[in-house]
Amino acid sequence: MTGRPAPPSGAPLLEARGLARRYRDVRALDGVDLDLAAGEAVALLGPNGAGKTTLLTILAGVTAAGAGTVAWGDGGRARVGWVPHRPAVYPRLTTRENLRLFAALEGDPRPEAATGHLLEQADLARFADQRADRLSTGTLQRLNLAVALAGRPSVLLLDEPTATLSPDQRRRLWDWLERLRAEEGMAVLFSTQSVDEATRRGDRLVVMAAGRVAFAGTAAELVAAHGGPRPGGGADAAELAFLRLVDPEPA
Amino acid sequence: MRNAALIFAKDLRLLRRAPAVLLVLVAYPLLVALLVAAALQGGDRRPGVALVNLDGSGRTVAVGERRLSVEDYAARLEEDVDLRRLGPEQAAAALEAGRVTAVVTIPEGFIADLQSGIRQPVIGLTTSRRSPIEADQITRRLEAAVYRFNQGLATGYVGQVLRLVDLVLEGGDIGFLGRSGEALGLRRSRELVIGVQDALRLRGDGALAERLAPLVDFIDATQANLDLARPAAEAIRAPIRLEVDAGPPGREPLSAFGLAGALLVSLGLAGVLLAAAGLSSEREDNVLVRLRRGLVSPGALVGEKTAFTALACTLVGLVLLGAVALATSLAVGRWGAWLPTLLVAGAAFGAFGALAGALARETRSALLVALMAALPLMALGLVPGSDVAGALSQAVPFGPAFDAFQRLLVEPDLDGGALGLDLGHMALLGAAFAGAAALALRRRA
Repeated sequence: MTGRPAPPSGAPLLEARGLARRYRDVRALDGVDLDLAAGEAVALLGPNGAGKTTLLTILAGVTAAGAGTVAWGDGGRARVGWVPHRPAVYPRLTTRENLRLFAALEGDPRPEAATGHLLEQADLARFADQRADRLSTGTLQRLNLAVALAGRPSVLLLDEPTATLSPDQRRRLWDWLERLRAEEGMAVLFSTQSVDEATRRGDRLVVMAAGRVAFAGTAAELVAAHGGPRPGGGADAAELAFLRLVDPEPA
Repeated sequence: MRNAALIFAKDLRLLRRAPAVLLVLVAYPLLVALLVAAALQGGDRRPGVALVNLDGSGRTVAVGERRLSVEDYAARLEEDVDLRRLGPEQAAAALEAGRVTAVVTIPEGFIADLQSGIRQPVIGLTTSRRSPIEADQITRRLEAAVYRFNQGLATGYVGQVLRLVDLVLEGGDIGFLGRSGEALGLRRSRELVIGVQDALRLRGDGALAERLAPLVDFIDATQANLDLARPAAEAIRAPIRLEVDAGPPGREPLSAFGLAGALLVSLGLAGVLLAAAGLSSEREDNVLVRLRRGLVSPGALVGEKTAFTALACTLVGLVLLGAVALATSLAVGRWGAWLPTLLVAGAAFGAFGALAGALARETRSALLVALMAALPLMALGLVPGSDVAGALSQAVPFGPAFDAFQRLLVEPDLDGGALGLDLGHMALLGAAFAGAAALALRRRA
């Protein structure tokens, strides 16, 4: 396992300001600000319907924002890799064919070579000639992530990437992601419903509720601000603070 | 464009990898084509027609040696239609309920009018608006029946006149219009006058005999003119005679019209369903969320599905036409014009299907929507002469496609300009549907 990379510093890779989006009468996003630095891992936490997926799809360029601005650093040349919650690959193509097609679509001049590299990097060589709809859930999620890497991104946006994975599959995926951060300086913005995963894998947490950012900072800052009169330590304290933040008066 | 070509190649690869789909893509249109061709050929069903006889006189009219009644006319009608004798109210109710396609009314005094020779008898025909095709067919059949009946009457009348002519020429028993007696006839009259002239000359009264010469000349001239009466009367009875000579039966009961209809339905369905399934499966596979991120625009994706469908329809269409050319005696030909026609028609069908694919959230729904929209609109394209149906069918690709298919299969002289207009019409509609599909895809992704 690769150790967790050191928190980054420097100019923000992403600056989102005042993002808003409505779906008919529902205000899915309501004035969200978000920063992401190069090499940083930020966890988006929040209950169902908080606006995490909407925020990610807007940042990924899949959905248009109703209002607000998104500015990408690196002179606007930052490349974004998008990992949707449900794997977005062609089920009747093989692993190799999916990777080669998306590498070509991303404009890679040598899609064959890129495919070999991705197969190795994602530990998918054994499944190269297997159809995507015959892969196990964990392997399919690795293919989903590998496809997102086909465009050689500097930022990865992941929508609940481990929600359907077993603990060992989850660990393998995070090992890989942290290796990418450490070796390639990739920034990672991921959504999750697990406070434990957010505090362990994220340098910072952004807690969303009802389409707004309810909190942004480190896990320690979350506990300090919302942990109650005698907060404890560790993941349990962060979870308690999170629950107090998103649901201050539980039934 | 390059990325759309990559998706095109992916679709080809997937299609090649699914032999069952390939088989269905070819076999299904073939099956549909056979069924549609059979349906369009099957014009032998006798339509139901109500006969309302208001002439209760039971009278008959003498035509030559025959006496004709309303029942004779009904018998003539029964050769063409399934005749049901009903009262006026029953007939109106049956027409309203769609149980008969038309009502034929024999008015009161029909036979009396026919006998009068002064008043022209009139037969009434009321057709159903419910089924314009059948009504049109029945009108033509009844017109033909009235024509044949009139021809029968004319034959009778002409025969009667010719018998009178014979009587004038040859003489004989009159027995006509209640009179009886012996008619002298022109030939015997001439013989009598010549005999009188000869007798007068023998008696030395040549001057008196010469005074009878104009009478002989008149008889000769009248005889000569009446000899021409027979062919003249025949010509009046039927100025134009139709000589029916059944052409070669062909090896199969397939007409060019039937084939055009079969091509429309089979290629239309295959194209619409293929495009609808192709586009909606991009969404169902969740790949649209990647492609939309600037990899392939909605317009390019719709264009790719349209082009893919155009290619598939062209290949399937050529296979169908090739099979018809090889297995039947129907002349297909005009291959140079078929290629652009099938390409443009396939693209237009694809654009129509792409709209269904863009609107539906799942492939199954897309197929259902495409089928439900395409089938009635195709049927409208096959309906001749209805203003509303015609206008509707021309607002979707099926109308101009059918026109183009018919032009290539039916028209003896191919009008390139008219075919170009059909193709332009289809291309315009294809572009409109593709634009709508791209817009829907952009809004609903």
